[in-house]
Amino acid sequence: MFRYRIIYAKVGPARYISHLDLLRVFDRSARRAGLPVAYTQGFNPHPKMTFAAPLSVGTAGEAEYADMELARDIDPAVVKSALAGAMPQGLRLIEVDRTPEAAASLMALVERATYSARAELASPLRDEVLARAIDSFLARPQIIIERQGKAGAKKEYDIRPGIFAMSGCVNNDIIKIKAELKTGSSGNVRFEELLAAFLKESRLPLRGRLSLTRTGLLFRGAEQG
Amino acid sequence: MFLGYTIILGICCGEKEIENMDLLDQILPLVKKPARYAGGEWNAVCKNWGEVDLKVAFAFPDVYEVGMSHLGLQILYGIVNSRPDALMERVFAPWPDMAEKMREHEIPLFALESKRPLRDFDVVAFTLQYELSFSNILYMLDLAGIPLLSASRSEEYPLVIAGGPCAFNPEPIADFIDLFVIGEGEEVINELLDAVAGGKRDKLSRKELLRKAVEIQGVYVPSLYLVHYGEDGAFLRVEPADSSVPARVKKRVVKDFDQVSFPTSPVVPSTEVVHDRMMIEVLRGCTRGCRFCQAGMIYRPVREKERGTVLRQARELVRNTGYDELSLVSLSTSDYTPVQEVVKSLLDEHAAGGVSLSLPSLRADQFSVDLAKEVQRVRRSSLTFAPEAGTQRLRDVINKGVTEEDLLAAAGAAFREGWLAVKLYFMIGLPTETDEDLDGINRLAREVLSLGRKAGVPRGRLKVTVSVSSFVPKAHTAFQWEPQAPFEALKERQAYLSGKVRDRGLTLNYHDAGASFIEAVFARGDRRLGQVLSKAFELGCKFDGWTEYFNLEKWLEAFKSAGLDPAWYAYRSYGYDDALPWDHIDPGISKRYLAREHQRAMEGITTGDCRTGDCPGCGLCGALEIEPVLAGSERDV
Repeated sequence: MFRYRIIYAKVGPARYISHLDLLRVFDRSARRAGLPVAYTQGFNPHPKMTFAAPLSVGTAGEAEYADMELARDIDPAVVKSALAGAMPQGLRLIEVDRTPEAAASLMALVERATYSARAELASPLRDEVLARAIDSFLARPQIIIERQGKAGAKKEYDIRPGIFAMSGCVNNDIIKIKAELKTGSSGNVRFEELLAAFLKESRLPLRGRLSLTRTGLLFRGAEQG
Repeated sequence: MFLGYTIILGICCGEKEIENMDLLDQILPLVKKPARYAGGEWNAVCKNWGEVDLKVAFAFPDVYEVGMSHLGLQILYGIVNSRPDALMERVFAPWPDMAEKMREHEIPLFALESKRPLRDFDVVAFTLQYELSFSNILYMLDLAGIPLLSASRSEEYPLVIAGGPCAFNPEPIADFIDLFVIGEGEEVINELLDAVAGGKRDKLSRKELLRKAVEIQGVYVPSLYLVHYGEDGAFLRVEPADSSVPARVKKRVVKDFDQVSFPTSPVVPSTEVVHDRMMIEVLRGCTRGCRFCQAGMIYRPVREKERGTVLRQARELVRNTGYDELSLVSLSTSDYTPVQEVVKSLLDEHAAGGVSLSLPSLRADQFSVDLAKEVQRVRRSSLTFAPEAGTQRLRDVINKGVTEEDLLAAAGAAFREGWLAVKLYFMIGLPTETDEDLDGINRLAREVLSLGRKAGVPRGRLKVTVSVSSFVPKAHTAFQWEPQAPFEALKERQAYLSGKVRDRGLTLNYHDAGASFIEAVFARGDRRLGQVLSKAFELGCKFDGWTEYFNLEKWLEAFKSAGLDPAWYAYRSYGYDDALPWDHIDPGISKRYLAREHQRAMEGITTGDCRTGDCPGCGLCGALEIEPVLAGSERDV
């Protein structure tokens, strides 16, 4: 088998494709592209494809990662151009590279993610006010949020250790907030959780909802993303 | 770096769509399954709004996953979008959570491709697949900000048209629809769009356009017909307003089914839908002549696609969609003359590429199991058979040409071949039904179960599901004169069955009798039911095909306030000479034939299949100047 690492953007209408549906969308795209997708054995074969970290439905991704296995060795440039022409609107290929079959899985590698949020302001806000609000938010020793457990029970969880950076800026009537958060199987902070906790405290004059983008993924021992 | 909406949306959308998308992005993260409303799927056609003269919205009055499983949508979408002067976009009934958000943010119902409001289209075309979706037509028009009643829509609103099987009795929904298309849409849609384009060019008023449109065969404009009722409230007749309007509207039928436009680049949903696979319609029509079945009457004659056409279309579909499953669809796929050769060729060509086949609508016989065996190398799903009735006597009454030996042979073979589960479809409330017939359902289910045990299917995994629906008399069938069994009687029979069909490995499902009752009312209703629909919509009726939304009490209240008795419609027994509310719709088959079939049913006499050369005299070929077409089979060559 031949493994390829795919970097892609998930924007526009594709933001609303759920993580569960994304595997099917990639499989069909690859089939349309005429790529020999490798499948698992057994009664219910599925394509050998993994994704770095699920993206919340509605959040855009500017540089998402997936690994896909093919049954034949094909030049990555060929894979890229074939696949690029077969993806639905909003899924755009950025890069396709070979990756060793023995390489650690994407899910095990991903450690952090960078995000940005954007919204219109209902009334003017000065940069300094926003900066102060973020500073005082980050100065808290603990930021406790509630999570719904699998059994439905609510659990408290401190997200402060998972926030590595947070900043904001105002440009005319547009506010932007950026953050770098812990991501992956060894602990995960969702951007929505952070924003909800922050907005609860700082009461910014937003008009409507924030639109969210994951701008990159950061990997263990690597500086890509 | 921040991505603006222009980049996000890609190249095909203008400023107006961006505004809408901006607003939509505010609400989509808050609703269930937002992919239903996002658009942008593979093969979706997004034309430049300003460069196209005619804008048509295909409106499916149910949720996205149901509507996107409908082949008719893909057929018409392909045809209209292949016209340089026209575009067709899609719209589905938003789930109530989405509708609530849309109302809150004042977003009118929009089409998926351009995100433009339905009001901006020239034509909004609904498909009428089942009676219980009628309330959703009102629900969608209301969300679109389009006046519900045809009579209250002024020139600036789109022309609201409808087609599909339920258009064969259009009267209950006639108040809301400007124009119906009766019969198959592939050819008439182009003639109709030409007329609409001509109307736009010549600046015709709505009324003038509708007058012109009735010249097209298959077009029914309810406002050009008057309905008369007797003093006792009985329906008397539907009459054209003047002599320039045809007294009866003859259905459209495609002569060259093999060569007619078929979508080999259908829209591929990005989220899972009900029928999430490629579909090829291998034949249209069914001549078995089951007496309860409307589809078997209104889609006549049988026309089969040539083997080569199927293989070519399959090749194109595989290339254009990326699906890994292909379904050969029709009313009865085991009847397709070259089915064995086609299945073999398709597997030879596509199995290596990981494409599997599925054959819905199989007959209950050994031949079909052999076919299924060929098709399903991995037996992951269950096999479904539809004996419809529990005794041979009743199967003869309904002319369901399945014998007990056929069914048991099929079920036994299925279990021996490795299937673990068999589903059996039955109907209760059929004309002449007695307890003996209900006992027959139980007996058949148990015999099938014991065949499974004999075949050595492990006890824990062996499953026989008995699915029981309630008979609904439909227009243009031999049973159109028959009453539906009373609601209470249906409930009793369901209770009777659930007391009996009970054993390890046996599962019994039945349909909501209240929903079947309302379905019967609308299936044989007249134009007065428009008031009931209006009232029901005001009371909040919607998604009536969904058990979580169907509310019988609200419907009964709607009937009460409209001063109409639903029982009168559902339980009425018509005489052969009585005028029927759908008499002005001509499906090509003669009423005399239907009456003869009804008499034979009452006498328990079966009628043969016209495929075998044994013409039952339905009158269609003469009336529509058409003949059945069977595909050339290698067996015959």
